[in-house]
Amino acid sequence: MPLDDDLEDNPSLVPRPSTTTNNATGDAAAMMDEVEEAEDAPTADFRLFASTYSKTKNISAQTIRKGEKDFESHGTRAQASALDASRDAMRDVLSYTRVHNTKSASGWCRGWYFPDWWKDWPEDWEQQKLTKRGKEGGGEDDEEEKDRKLPPLHVRDRVVLLEHTNVASQSLGRAVTGLPKDRPARGREWLLPEEALYLVERGSLDLWWPTRGIEEVFPADGSVAAAAATTSAEGEGEQTKEEEDDDDKYKYGLPLSLQAAYALLIGEDGERGKVSLQKFQVFSHLKRAGYNVIRAPTNPLPVQDDTQLTTTTQPASKPKSVTEWLISCLPQSKSSPTDPPPYGPLVPPGFYRSYNTIYNYLSLRPSSCPTDDQPQKIQSPESDDSDSDFDSPYKIHYHVYKASTKFVRTRPPPPDFYISVISAKDTSIPTLSEISSLLASAPADLPKAEWLAGGPARLYARLKHGYRNVLLAVNDHGVINYMRFAEGGFAKEELFRNYDVRVSGGPRRGGRGGGGGGGGGKKSGNNNGRGSRGRGGGRGGGRGGRGGRGRGN
Amino acid sequence: MASTEVDRQVRISKIAGRYLVFDIDDVAYIRRQHGICAVFTGTMPQNPTQNVFLGLPLELYAEDAKMLLDRKVAYIADDPLEHLTQLKSMDDEMRKSYLQSIKTQRRTAQLVFNEAKAQSMAKHKDKRKPKQPQPPVVVPTELPLPASSADDVAAAVDQEEGGAESLLGSSSSKPVKTDSSTPPQKPLVKEKLPAITPTTSNAMISNGTSNPDVENHTALPLYSYLNERGYFITPGLRFGGDFSVYPGDPFRYHAHYMANSYGWDEKIPMLDLVTSGRLGTAVKKSFLMGGQKPATENSEAGELRAFCIEWAGM
Repeated sequence: MPLDDDLEDNPSLVPRPSTTTNNATGDAAAMMDEVEEAEDAPTADFRLFASTYSKTKNISAQTIRKGEKDFESHGTRAQASALDASRDAMRDVLSYTRVHNTKSASGWCRGWYFPDWWKDWPEDWEQQKLTKRGKEGGGEDDEEEKDRKLPPLHVRDRVVLLEHTNVASQSLGRAVTGLPKDRPARGREWLLPEEALYLVERGSLDLWWPTRGIEEVFPADGSVAAAAATTSAEGEGEQTKEEEDDDDKYKYGLPLSLQAAYALLIGEDGERGKVSLQKFQVFSHLKRAGYNVIRAPTNPLPVQDDTQLTTTTQPASKPKSVTEWLISCLPQSKSSPTDPPPYGPLVPPGFYRSYNTIYNYLSLRPSSCPTDDQPQKIQSPESDDSDSDFDSPYKIHYHVYKASTKFVRTRPPPPDFYISVISAKDTSIPTLSEISSLLASAPADLPKAEWLAGGPARLYARLKHGYRNVLLAVNDHGVINYMRFAEGGFAKEELFRNYDVRVSGGPRRGGRGGGGGGGGGKKSGNNNGRGSRGRGGGRGGGRGGRGGRGRGN
Repeated sequence: MASTEVDRQVRISKIAGRYLVFDIDDVAYIRRQHGICAVFTGTMPQNPTQNVFLGLPLELYAEDAKMLLDRKVAYIADDPLEHLTQLKSMDDEMRKSYLQSIKTQRRTAQLVFNEAKAQSMAKHKDKRKPKQPQPPVVVPTELPLPASSADDVAAAVDQEEGGAESLLGSSSSKPVKTDSSTPPQKPLVKEKLPAITPTTSNAMISNGTSNPDVENHTALPLYSYLNERGYFITPGLRFGGDFSVYPGDPFRYHAHYMANSYGWDEKIPMLDLVTSGRLGTAVKKSFLMGGQKPATENSEAGELRAFCIEWAGM
């Protein structure tokens, strides 16, 4: 309950299930444990790792318990030797060389670095082609439908040409389709820099530097000259002179090291054919965790908004009794006073049958209401100072899919998460225009239908989930934290609407929920002044909810 | 080791403004001798689907790089530039020597591979001994060995392929006694050397020809102050400060401090102090803040002061 009061007395920012409730010390201990666990992650002992992947090391996982650390150095030999063991294990584990099995053609995945092949390629080439074809074919709706959903290929950034595919590369890489027949390497898959580097790093890709042109390595007839050379060189008898062997095998290029791969593929933000280290780290972190990740379009396409704008969020909008209905039929003079009179009471003296009218008079401050605003509408102020927004680091960089989501890379479904990668040291917290344009570039992600229909009981679930959201991956030199920025709909949760409901929707705790709650408090005070029976008035604050109940007659 | 460590020059690759170390010997050296552990950021090829253990490269803080540079034990190399020039204009000799080193590594990999194979075969045979042991000659015929038996190192070495390789040829020659210059004993199946991806480009790039400078090391005074006193420093993102400070190698100790570096005359809002102090206490650490007195006309920059703040739970 992040909105709750309890937080004030609990310095821990980590929300945790309170297992031991009344025992403060137990609580604290549990918390400390959690902290220690979190701390273990960066410094986890490589002996543990060694024991998990290689039984030959004779280290069992039981002997190395997590968190077995000392408070400080006491200069004993035992301590020194434990440290040495850890360091040696680290060295052993990290001295590993990536090996590719060349025996089976399917296992050996080779990539060639051709950074300039797509340099001047129009990004929307495929799109153009398809639309053209669609027009020729009489503009079938089906075809047009497909066109709209084509994911961006980032063709210009694709720099590594895959010779084979294997299990690891299956969800990565894209081929550019519809190319003329005489084009070399036609129909082959190309990797983005982060994909290639990720595969190299995990030992699934052998990256080569071509010493000949792409026309020679991948002739237009679809064969792979280099592969043929390799196999023939390998296939000839043992008598083959090593020199010749080498010349043949390495005729078309050289294998590159991991370091070279980093040097070639990591670059500044926005450099063509490269990826920034921060983004790469987030990408590979997510990939290691099992997510499917694709690069987001650079110019966010107009988001296809699947918002069925909800009317259910205002449960009191429908009159529920005959009296109420009658009242609602009465002419309500200035029910939404956008323009309060320059002087005099905010609520003109008169006879009021419903709280709604009064509160409408009192709502002076405009506030944004998430679902009512279309993304385009939010983007419009951005276009005014577009050059300042151009530099904004707050953009959606990756679309992320849970492993359980059925994922076809050529036609990806709507993403589960939108990730923006932020540097911890170089970036300030977003300005209002930055955060609103960031949120506007993600499509609406409404709270669950049962929450929306749940009325006041699901108020917090709705507020917490928000109406659209983006995850920020904050990267501090390789340590990554993820934060969720959601647009809360406080303006949609008008607490006063419930006061008019005859039977209130169950006991509700105070509306501490920021704007809405605050407004409620103020208004109930006013209410009290008028001599109404609102019990909530005296309690001020968010207890406004009770007011409606006290009034019930 | 000790003799080589005396004049060791750590190669720090500067790629797009970040400082990376690729050589495991360099990593071990700066950890042991200079108290720098920094952060491993790379995927472990042995087990690429976890985020707990990460591998090379090591990403340094600009402060680390500057400190090593000042101690004259490292040089900064503009890796993209050096790689591109080297790769684009590689003469025959360079090329040959590079290929030779690749080849040697491939051989070694093959040897390790065979050895592991032989070991696992031996183990396998031991298991089956109670039953009628099969003569070793027969072994190569049952080519696709069940993946379960090709376990341990072989499986790790060869993850993608799931152990479905046909390396058995050399199993008859149990311990591979051949030295690395001659190919392993003539196998029944024609062997292909496995392809490798070396971790570093040491074979291709000899020494730093370009020496870019280190930028953005604003926290250097506090950083080196702590480092000189034997503290290890890692990024502070986990605990909400600039740095986490450990009293020794983080392999063995928990962090004691959460540190922030401030300018000498910088105004610090009291609220920040309270926030950080409380946060530090919540994670069982002290909040450490420090700054260095700036240089004046008659004195050099010096005198660094550091304070620790804890939440007094009155």
